[in-house]
Amino acid sequence: MKYAYYISCINESLSMEADTSMNLWKNDLGIELVPLESGTCCGGSNLDFTSPDQFLAVNGRNIALAEKIGLDMITSCNTCLLGLRHAKHILDTQPEKKEMVNQILKEEGLEYTGKSEVKHLLWVLVDDYGLDKLAEKITNPLTEYKFAPFYGCHILRPSPLMGGYDDPNRPHTLEDLVRRLGGNVVDYESKNKCCGFHTLLVAEDESVKLSGSALDEAITAGADFIVTPCPLCHMALDAYQKEALAKVQSGGKMRILHLSQIVGLALGYSEKALGLNKHVVV
Amino acid sequence: MTEEKKDIYFKIFRFNPEVDQKPFYDTFKISVEKGVTILRAINYIKDHVDSTLSYRFYCQAGICGSCSMRVNGVSKLACTTQVWDELERCKEKDVITIEPMNNFDVIRDMVVEYTPVIKKLEKYISWVTPKIKREDLGKKEHIISEAEFKVYDAATDCILCGACYSECSMMSAHREYISPLGLLKAFRMVKDSRDTRSDDRMKILNEDHGMWDCTHCYRCVEACVKNIPIMDAIQGVRNEAFLRGMKNSEGYRHAYAFTQDIKSTGRLKESTIAVRTKGIFGSISMLPFALKMMGRNRMPKVFVHTIPGIKHVKRIFQKLK
Amino acid sequence: MQPYDIIIVGAGGGGMYAAMEALNTNPKLKIAVVSKVYPTRSHTSAAQGGVNAALANRHKDDTVELHIFDTIKGSDYLADQDAATILCEDAPYVVRELENLGAPFSRLEDGTIAQRPFGGAQKYRCCYCADRTGHTLLTTLFEQCLKQGVKFYSEYYLLSIEHDGDKAQGVVVMNMQTGKIEAMPARSVIIATGGYAKMYWQKSSNAAGSTGDGIAAALRAGIAVEDMEFVQFHPTGLRKSGLLISEGARGEGGYLVNNKGERFMSRYAPEKMELGPRDLVSRSIEIEINEGRGFDSDAGQYMHLDLRHLGADLILERLPQIRMLAIDFEGVDPIKEPIPIRPTAHYSMGGIDADNDGATAIKGVYAVGECSCISVHGANRLGGNSLLDILVFGKRAGRHAALNAPSLNPGAISTAAVEKSVKEIEGFSHHDRTERYGELRDELGKTLGANAGIYRTRAKLEKGVEEVMAIKERFKNVRVNDNSAVFNTNLFQVLELKNMIALAETVTRGALAREESRGSHSREDFPVRDDEKWHKHSIFHMNEKGDITLSTKPVTMGKYPLQARTY
Repeated sequence: MKYAYYISCINESLSMEADTSMNLWKNDLGIELVPLESGTCCGGSNLDFTSPDQFLAVNGRNIALAEKIGLDMITSCNTCLLGLRHAKHILDTQPEKKEMVNQILKEEGLEYTGKSEVKHLLWVLVDDYGLDKLAEKITNPLTEYKFAPFYGCHILRPSPLMGGYDDPNRPHTLEDLVRRLGGNVVDYESKNKCCGFHTLLVAEDESVKLSGSALDEAITAGADFIVTPCPLCHMALDAYQKEALAKVQSGGKMRILHLSQIVGLALGYSEKALGLNKHVVV
Repeated sequence: MTEEKKDIYFKIFRFNPEVDQKPFYDTFKISVEKGVTILRAINYIKDHVDSTLSYRFYCQAGICGSCSMRVNGVSKLACTTQVWDELERCKEKDVITIEPMNNFDVIRDMVVEYTPVIKKLEKYISWVTPKIKREDLGKKEHIISEAEFKVYDAATDCILCGACYSECSMMSAHREYISPLGLLKAFRMVKDSRDTRSDDRMKILNEDHGMWDCTHCYRCVEACVKNIPIMDAIQGVRNEAFLRGMKNSEGYRHAYAFTQDIKSTGRLKESTIAVRTKGIFGSISMLPFALKMMGRNRMPKVFVHTIPGIKHVKRIFQKLK
Repeated sequence: MQPYDIIIVGAGGGGMYAAMEALNTNPKLKIAVVSKVYPTRSHTSAAQGGVNAALANRHKDDTVELHIFDTIKGSDYLADQDAATILCEDAPYVVRELENLGAPFSRLEDGTIAQRPFGGAQKYRCCYCADRTGHTLLTTLFEQCLKQGVKFYSEYYLLSIEHDGDKAQGVVVMNMQTGKIEAMPARSVIIATGGYAKMYWQKSSNAAGSTGDGIAAALRAGIAVEDMEFVQFHPTGLRKSGLLISEGARGEGGYLVNNKGERFMSRYAPEKMELGPRDLVSRSIEIEINEGRGFDSDAGQYMHLDLRHLGADLILERLPQIRMLAIDFEGVDPIKEPIPIRPTAHYSMGGIDADNDGATAIKGVYAVGECSCISVHGANRLGGNSLLDILVFGKRAGRHAALNAPSLNPGAISTAAVEKSVKEIEGFSHHDRTERYGELRDELGKTLGANAGIYRTRAKLEKGVEEVMAIKERFKNVRVNDNSAVFNTNLFQVLELKNMIALAETVTRGALAREESRGSHSREDFPVRDDEKWHKHSIFHMNEKGDITLSTKPVTMGKYPLQARTY
């Protein structure tokens, strides 16, 4: 299985452990990832409104880079997923916009046609690869642990853009994966709620209240870890955990895992190799 | 042809401050036929089982917005929601939970205190103030192109049901937040060429709890009973701030940093985003975070690599505005 | 307490426009708008089709005069011609004024307000915003009221209208949140509480609260009500719920089709076909069904409204709300299947007897909108004229009240008046009461549907009167089970039922007395229009004992003499 890999900016800087852990086990599953070296930042859900046309062209270009090498795209960040799929939807349904973007791309020898799919690593594992096949590769079933799934908004909503992979109100894909890895799943209200990442710099009090509520619930529900497919949620729940729990007047602690780390653990890699010691909450 | 029927349990939130210390749930079991809406089901309960059950409803047709409540945890209109569709969403088999909307104070059962919505509409100047003088009104209509009308056509669909208000993440964090419906209305007004008060309106939107506080969770879009693309409207007012060069806000500077970075190197310069957003003094509060990152050896590089082909990216920013 | 200058009861299009006009006329006035629901919930929001005005944007040769004639002919010549003239003359102004204030009308290519064809109209003059014109106009009015700082008392229930026999004193209301009953003294009162078609309950398109509260209160206050027997049955209500599928669907080109696949309207209105006036189309559907050319189902017999030939694009652009209603309530997508419809009780031509400024016989008491009978709609209302009615006369009444209120000096509302309501409401909770609200309400709806529906006969109407009187008697024993003072919906429903019963008596008695067929009132035993005996308005009074007495009053004629009405 071969995909074009779209790298999230945060995975290149603040949370490198998300991608380094993925790169540890991808070959074990036979997943080949071709990094899009020339890809730019997706706009981080900000470029959409600073300049809608530039947003379309920038992400049309990102997808065109994958199309050039004839591959579908994978990303391991929710906001990148949304940004790319949002741009793709507009380019696929509004021919004038596609024309506008292609006029500029052709000077680089690129063309956006809409051929390449844009998927999240979670979807690829659950759907393309298959949970049964994944279960066969497990050497360290996570039966001793309880995991609270935290999906993150941009892999669930807006659901018309999310390819029907999951149900925004009763999501299950992450939980299905955790169970197949042998882990126990803890259910709680906030699993499909928002971590507040995108307003951490602008409205910190409100943002940490959101992540604090989710953390508190997971702690009360008795989870050992929260697992999330989005490095931005990871940042909000892990790096800001102290502020978040203080905001909702809750005690305790919760270790946060990247999706790539929980898969790595079940495939037999050590916590250190997977970069769990890089987290703020250890 | 007779419709399928089955016994369904309705677990309903009850609270009357006149007599109850705190809220509780009453469960009613009734036989429901396929095709019946949630509203018809609770009307049946009210008519035949417990007449004290309190909730608002009016048009029964998804038009007036009165009957918004949470059904199985999700805010929606009771009158357009099919009981049968809810069965697959029940946590407990055949038990449908009915609760009042979130982020509102409860008056009684599903009846919530609605005036904060109206206060917000007032705060953000949610009306058209035309240039036409009082004595000249009614003589001629403004000439409005279909293209302009299309921009805010969907926004005029809003029936103020409050489902987005109830689902909104930031509303749950702070009741002062403008709310999705407030932003939707603001967008509709700002894009209406007949209105003359957008300067004032944009100023207030630019302040605390205004347009920059939306955390892009898309819960409003997911919940909207009229399928209005609310996030497009929120992005629309922010775009308006960019078109007007309203640079004096953290939200603006934060978003601006993204465009600058993509244009210059193609990737984000994470190490300086905080400073560029909050300014030097504002960033002092980021010190603890920076120390945490440094302690784990995770501080992002100051010099970010430039992607190959950056000149093609720059061209995008030159050619498109 | 200082009296209000004007209290407006009802915050729909009529009430809010009256408030705006009153404040514009005299910004110093102390005005309050009282409503049992939040303003944007008002039933104006459900009006789908549009508002008529001879703007001549679409058909350049349209004129006010043509609109006047269409209205009078549509009314089967029962409309007062001076009132109909004012309605149509003021129309272009009010529509443009609302546009100026931000109403988001759909547009023609030249950027002017778009207009489409509608039932009974010679020219395309129905101005619209997709298929949610009522909603957008109501929203615009609410926004403008907020701008002007109009004081709203939302979720206050009208209990009685008070006057001293000569002039208004104010109203007695209940704060629905606290249960507190209070007197609100006022120099003038504008009643804008809407219609009463909900009395047909299961067979009505109306909101749950279209129970004629203001009309019943006026009747009890000794004020005359008029033409109550004229209830309009809208031809296309959804089969199961009775909810409205707008005339706009036919305006955009939809077909009515029977079980033989025929567009049967060719037999009843060969020229106008599906766009004949509503009473005619409803009767046609009834006849087709009675003669076995309808479709059968558990929910009753119905006809097809076929929009498939209009194409997905048009339906999605112009009729999106209709499509959602069909999908949500019938499980049918009009792009792919015909919509199952049957006639539904929709509008009340009858109401409080008011003049061209909305004034009643009591100084300072006005009535506007569907709760009034001026009469602009006579025996049958044209689609698109109701939104127009509430705007034109809401404005006129607002202005008239504003100019006259300062000179009126009301006496205080007596404590006895307040006590009366307090006692009545307390009485509902007595243990020895045995009648159930839901039962009485459903029986009322059933008997009206069976005996005072589209086709009426003496035998059926006599039975109707009898059964309504029996329900009226049983109502004296109705029990309110909810004892709370906080938002007691059980109590509000019982009060609404009380109003429906009072008005049902006028509807059945009026229908029984009127021995002719005119407009929406069709008598199988008197199938023709009898201008000699019945070219007059029916008038109803309630005496102190609660008995209804009938009388009549002449129709104001004008330019258009009586003639046969064909389409």
